[in-house]
Amino acid sequence: MSAYLVSILTEGSIFGIMALGLNVIWGWAGDFDLAYYGYVAIGAYMTLVLTIGPPVPPAEFILGLQLPYPVAVAGAVATSMAVGLVVGLIALRHLRGIYFSIVTLGAVYVMYVMAGQYVRLFDGYNGLSGLFDPMGDWFGFDYQTYQYFFLGLSLVCFVLVFLFMARISSSRFGMALRTLREDERAAAAFGRDIYRLKLKGYVLGAGIGGFAGALFAAYLSAFNPSAWSPVEVIVLYSAVLVGGRGNIRGVALGVLIMGVLVQESTRFLPQIPNHPQVVLALRGAIIGLVLVLFLRFRPQGLLPERRYIDREPAVEPAPQAT
Amino acid sequence: MNIPAVATALEVRGLSKHFGGVYAVENCSFQAPLGQVTGLIGPNGAGKSTAIDLISGFKLPDAGTILFKGRELEGLPPHRISRLGLVRTFQAPREWPALTVIENVVMARWDARRESFFQGVFGLGRGQRAAAAEERTRAREIISELGLDAVRNERAGSLSGGQKRLVEFARIRMAQPELVILDEPMGGVNPVMGERMAMAIEGFIATGTSVIVVEHNLPFIERVTQHVIVMAQGTVIAEGPFESLRSSQAVVDAYLGEVVSDGKA
Repeated sequence: MSAYLVSILTEGSIFGIMALGLNVIWGWAGDFDLAYYGYVAIGAYMTLVLTIGPPVPPAEFILGLQLPYPVAVAGAVATSMAVGLVVGLIALRHLRGIYFSIVTLGAVYVMYVMAGQYVRLFDGYNGLSGLFDPMGDWFGFDYQTYQYFFLGLSLVCFVLVFLFMARISSSRFGMALRTLREDERAAAAFGRDIYRLKLKGYVLGAGIGGFAGALFAAYLSAFNPSAWSPVEVIVLYSAVLVGGRGNIRGVALGVLIMGVLVQESTRFLPQIPNHPQVVLALRGAIIGLVLVLFLRFRPQGLLPERRYIDREPAVEPAPQAT
Repeated sequence: MNIPAVATALEVRGLSKHFGGVYAVENCSFQAPLGQVTGLIGPNGAGKSTAIDLISGFKLPDAGTILFKGRELEGLPPHRISRLGLVRTFQAPREWPALTVIENVVMARWDARRESFFQGVFGLGRGQRAAAAEERTRAREIISELGLDAVRNERAGSLSGGQKRLVEFARIRMAQPELVILDEPMGGVNPVMGERMAMAIEGFIATGTSVIVVEHNLPFIERVTQHVIVMAQGTVIAEGPFESLRSSQAVVDAYLGEVVSDGKA
């Protein structure tokens, strides 16, 4: 397997976990959350400050604890969930639709500015680096072998998150989240505590995002504000939309199409002499175009949300309609 | 009233709500008898919908008491009131459109334990599966009774207006509240279905659910109710069996020329 294939499969798995987390918040609970990539970023930052050593001047950042990678991942997930809880407590209380989105946009901007400007937190625009091959020395892998190991780790994590999501999808908890998306006043009239339920979904999604961020940090071995582009969240939304909002298999398919195929397709286009940035810009244009076409012609995505089909025969003949 | 002590399903005392300077509901008091269908009628703007919103917790009253099963409901959020056994519907059908009919019915029953994140996601016990199977069987029975078998697996959003109302009725049967408040159940429904709706309402009474029904369709009110409350300008102006209201001058005046007596209003 070429190094190229290994890298896109690893990226694809991590991207898949991100999209599955977003699917909880947008696909099931129905909230168009623009802060989502912030939880991925917090997961990545926290993983780094928990694993790399203390800062060497002039670098500045918090912690630097040199914890084992799995412990750092748990810490990263917990931090993302905690921040998600704070944002959710504020944004989900009364706001819905575009008003909710605007507040989450504000929240993610605060996170972004904090990471970039408050240098003592994560060393500002320099960002953090130095997480090399986590867990590799436990097994004594060389660089080449490690790439395969990390691909395997990412794939296993993706499969575990996928199975976890499949479980939620068919659970009453997952169904209750969908009733909020479909009509929350009716959900309240039938006993659902809208605010609490939405909050649970939101924190769960943020935690999954943080988990993906923790893997992403290990994959990149570094993270800084330039790795955190606002466009990323749009790519995630496009993957969920194209695949099928609410359907986890659809989300996985969407990640394959939007996150892997479209992202990588431009790599094979011929470069235009003297204008190297054109091909890169095309990537964004293609994603935008696919997004618009799907919104117009197939908003339910390639694999629409599955419904429970009751195959039992009718209990008794229906009374004749009057 | 000649019957001395009728048990009440709901009692409202001195309920008031104003929006700015306008009183939508003002000093409104009434009782809905247990085990009966109570009609709540009145011209547009009488405050019926606001009264329902106040009772069900979707709006906060400025003053007044709402007694249900010996508890005061004012200030409780909608889901708490629903969990106590008071369920309402809305003027427009509020089905969960992307869910199928049977999913809509199953999810009408709120189950704290099974709906919790940890129980729902990690609880793998046989008890869970049995409970889910029992619930689906019950939902299937209700769907059959209401004649929705053919559309059981359709997404509820794709049904006709009348079918959506029947889905709402099926949800109420599933939830089995002690009191249901139906807000204009005949709105947008083909009159041909009136008899089916009336029978469904009788089905609520038979299964122990008292009913309050807000409706402009007076023949329907006459057909299904045992007791009628007439509201106008935010307060109750008359009360009694439908028959007795025909002769009430206050009721006729409130409807301002709308014809009450021949049932074509």
